[in-house]
Amino acid sequence: MIPELMIALSIGAALFGIGLYGALSQTNLVMIIMGVELVLSAALLNMVAFWRYLHPDVTAAKMYVLIVMAVMAVEMTVGFGIAVARFRSRGSVEMEEARELKG
Amino acid sequence: MTLAIILFALALGCYLIAVLEDWAVHGRLDPLRPAVSALALLGREQVLPRKSDRLFFEVGPVLLLVAGLLAVAVIPLAPGLIVTDLATGALFLNAALAYVLVALIMAGWGPNGAYAMIGGWRFLGQFVAYAMLIVMTITAVAMRAESLSTTEIVTSQAALWNVFYQPIGFVLFVIAAMGLAWLPPIDLPTGGGDLAGGVEAEYTGARLAVLRLARLVIVLALASATATFYLGGWLGPWLPAWAWTAAKTLAVAAAMLFLGRHLPRLREARYLAVSWKLGIPLALANIILVGVIALVVPI
Amino acid sequence: MSVAQALFLIFFGAAAVWFGIVVFRTHSMVRSAIALLFSQTAVGAMFLVMQAEFLGVLQIMMMATEMSVMAIFMVMFMMDPGGMGKMDMTHQKRLSLWAGGIGLVAALAVIWGAGWTGPVPPVPGAAEQAAALGRELLGRSMFIFEAAALMILTAMVAATMVAIAPREEDD
Repeated sequence: MIPELMIALSIGAALFGIGLYGALSQTNLVMIIMGVELVLSAALLNMVAFWRYLHPDVTAAKMYVLIVMAVMAVEMTVGFGIAVARFRSRGSVEMEEARELKG
Repeated sequence: MTLAIILFALALGCYLIAVLEDWAVHGRLDPLRPAVSALALLGREQVLPRKSDRLFFEVGPVLLLVAGLLAVAVIPLAPGLIVTDLATGALFLNAALAYVLVALIMAGWGPNGAYAMIGGWRFLGQFVAYAMLIVMTITAVAMRAESLSTTEIVTSQAALWNVFYQPIGFVLFVIAAMGLAWLPPIDLPTGGGDLAGGVEAEYTGARLAVLRLARLVIVLALASATATFYLGGWLGPWLPAWAWTAAKTLAVAAAMLFLGRHLPRLREARYLAVSWKLGIPLALANIILVGVIALVVPI
Repeated sequence: MSVAQALFLIFFGAAAVWFGIVVFRTHSMVRSAIALLFSQTAVGAMFLVMQAEFLGVLQIMMMATEMSVMAIFMVMFMMDPGGMGKMDMTHQKRLSLWAGGIGLVAALAVIWGAGWTGPVPPVPGAAEQAAALGRELLGRSMFIFEAAALMILTAMVAATMVAIAPREEDD
């Protein structure tokens, strides 16, 4: 039983829950990206907590955190690229209106 | 005790920089002028714009001040005279200064005024133009010191100051610092000519006093960072350590305040183009050059 | 030390969760982006509490700029960025609440059900950590690091290609 680890992981879980709610409930693409960012930050928090309280001598864990940070930036870049393209062609990034791919 | 000395030095430094700026702008040296202006600002009416985002309006200047103070916290005044000697001090300086951007966006968005909002977003648009230059030049400095700690960076310059070791980095850092502290000729977020005060336009009274004070702290932080990273910090003969730091910081601040006044204000697009197309490749070349020198010549 | 660490973790964690909730509760989109920024900053502060100094400072630095960029995209793409009209920007609220709640409960159950045991090993100093991370990046994990760099480059090119305005044909 490591209380600090439990606290950090519980907060990670809470951030994950909020992010999941946001990503599913928002209608705007930018807000959905914000939800995904929250989920990813929860993942970051968990990784740092595991590194600190279980394996502080393994540096590869921190490298993985760096990679996830890069993924966050990439996710934002690509998401906003799509948002710009969609806004230009359709005039909005509301996901309720994006039904072109629906069968 | 250390904290009290540093706070006193900070207050004194801000006041001296205010005197210097007044001298640069109005062309006369008046040591009492900033005190009088500050008292006048505190006594003035505080106008609250209509339909403002009250929270951002109030928090913006304070966050700017906090960012400046955090940046100062990792700058050594003398051996041992530092608030926190972080092992990642040089990176922490960047992190603190990144919040200048956030504070300006908040201060620009808050008052619900067109000029203020354009000023705030314009600062975001310039972000890569100054931030990349600061980060990349600090990378080269840290490469020579083989450490991110600011005290180690100072001691690494015992044989030769970084200004001679990596002059390209020095020039780029000072220019980027002027962009970050919105000093002329790149004072685009508050440009007097085209934005009528920009971010500062809607602030009055005590809030404007906080905003101006925060700006002075940021100028001081950047000047002392230049002294630490490139001019050997407290290193120097005869005088005590703190006096060298103070003299170098004030000299850099004076240079930044006076030199830019004689140039026409840069247009935003031109600033971005120069910074992206010339500044960033030069900064990368600087990193390679410093790496090669550090490997080949042991200084 | 351990009690202080736990208390600071709770404090910054509560701040992170609170700002995370504010993100989806406020009507003003700029406020929403800045709230996300402060949530991430609180997470960075938690890294600092957990003695991962380099990562904490890096998180605090990167998120400031990332979320500012988020804010301007909000202003560009939303009909009512200031939140004056109090528009409802949500759909399938019940489903999302259930999904978020179930995710939270499942994660909590795993966390509190698993038996984390053992003494916490000592942590190397911040300077050694940074040096070790550098050796890791340019040593054993260099290939992954390079792959990440390529990934960023690809994303940059792809995003620019997608976002660039289609050129009008001259003829």
